[in-house]
Amino acid sequence: MIDWFSRIRWEHLYDAELARNSLPFLLEGLKITLFIAAFSMFFALVLGVLLGIARMSKYAILRLPARIYISFMRGTPLLVFIFILYYGLPVVGVQFSSAVVAGIVGISLNFAAYNAEVVRSAVMSVPRGQWEAATSLQMSYIQSLRRIVLPQATRIALPPTFNIFMDIVKGTSLASVITVQELLYSARLISGRTYDSMTMYITAALIYWIVCIVIGHFQNRLEVRYSRYLNRH
Amino acid sequence: MIEVRNLKKKFGDHTVLESIDFQVSKGEVVCLVGASGSGKTTLLRCLNLLEMPDEGSITIGAKTLKFGGGSVRRNDIKELRRFSGMVFQSFNLFPHKTVMENIIEAPIIVQSRPKAVAIEEGKILLSKVGMLEHQDKYPDALSGGQQQRAAIARALMMKPEVMLFDEPTSALDPQLVREVLKVIEGLAKEGQTMVIVTHEMNFARRVSSKALFMDKGFIVESGKAAEVLTNPKEASTREFLALLDDD
Repeated sequence: MIDWFSRIRWEHLYDAELARNSLPFLLEGLKITLFIAAFSMFFALVLGVLLGIARMSKYAILRLPARIYISFMRGTPLLVFIFILYYGLPVVGVQFSSAVVAGIVGISLNFAAYNAEVVRSAVMSVPRGQWEAATSLQMSYIQSLRRIVLPQATRIALPPTFNIFMDIVKGTSLASVITVQELLYSARLISGRTYDSMTMYITAALIYWIVCIVIGHFQNRLEVRYSRYLNRH
Repeated sequence: MIEVRNLKKKFGDHTVLESIDFQVSKGEVVCLVGASGSGKTTLLRCLNLLEMPDEGSITIGAKTLKFGGGSVRRNDIKELRRFSGMVFQSFNLFPHKTVMENIIEAPIIVQSRPKAVAIEEGKILLSKVGMLEHQDKYPDALSGGQQQRAAIARALMMKPEVMLFDEPTSALDPQLVREVLKVIEGLAKEGQTMVIVTHEMNFARRVSSKALFMDKGFIVESGKAAEVLTNPKEASTREFLALLDDD
């Protein structure tokens, strides 16, 4: 009954030496991963804030397109979207200068939709009285939003935004299927050469994990900074 | 200073204000009293255009605005708001800003006053409401009474002709009510024109020159505060006051 257990070859679980030797190669891939992730986070955030604000607009001409965009991006797999960009667009004569660019564009456009929803829920969670106080002090909509509401919404949006950032880091691995030689692709190359998939993919997983731990650390620091004004720590 | 004519306001099918008429002269303190749901808060919020009236007209200071003939222009709304300052039941201080930052924010970004000037004026007002020593604290570290006094200073910073108070002490613990009422009373003595929605009847009798009693969207009785709030003519006013006395 526990036959399968006794047949596990534990000695093949992790080849530390292979991991160590392939680390420089993997880190080259990590550079591409971080490159794609950093740009994607930036664009997804900027676009997400704009989309989120448009989604809350009282003008249907802003609200409806934002709504449809968010619905489409949330409702379709990122991998499919990346395929459309990289394999589909060339059919109609549009080609990205490199697979990396296609990856950044795909990931940014897709995750911007999630960011937009985070922005919207955070802004909505700022009490109405804050808007009213700003309005009664003769602030315009933009002034109220920028000076009063968004700073408070930022604090609320931090944890879900960092969830998205981590998803973006992990989502860059999808770029490996359009030939971007990032971390996962590099791991797969060595794994194909050495036939040690276990070691290589575990190593890749650990590297992703470490990156996300670092991101989580930034999140904690920002949360402390943005909660300074609250009388509880 | 304020003239309200034939003001009407509906929320959906429900009429909240039915042809309201009243005037407030410069230096007058007017109390709006009445049961909850009588429309007094809505009326006050209409004066600041936090609610948009459906019909009628409002004059505050030098600005008259008519309602009911299409949408109101944004600049007109801004202009009318310039003449009034609002104090809310729930204070609504900006939690991410210190007391001083709270009160200089609008003067700097709306009125383009130099920061140094705003801070100087801010200090004067904060000492007036007894909050100078707390100027660097965040609202979360203050009691309700302290927050409300800071909120009063914040509204005064804009130098409004009229101060509007929406149940300024209703959210306060009983022992904190007096410190806020004292500040408002001080303003009354200085001749600040004010409209106050309140349930503090003794305070209303003491501080206000005129009282308006509202019921079901109408002003049922108005006159000298001492008379309306002590010897009301209308049955509904008497009933309301009797209910309060039971406390």
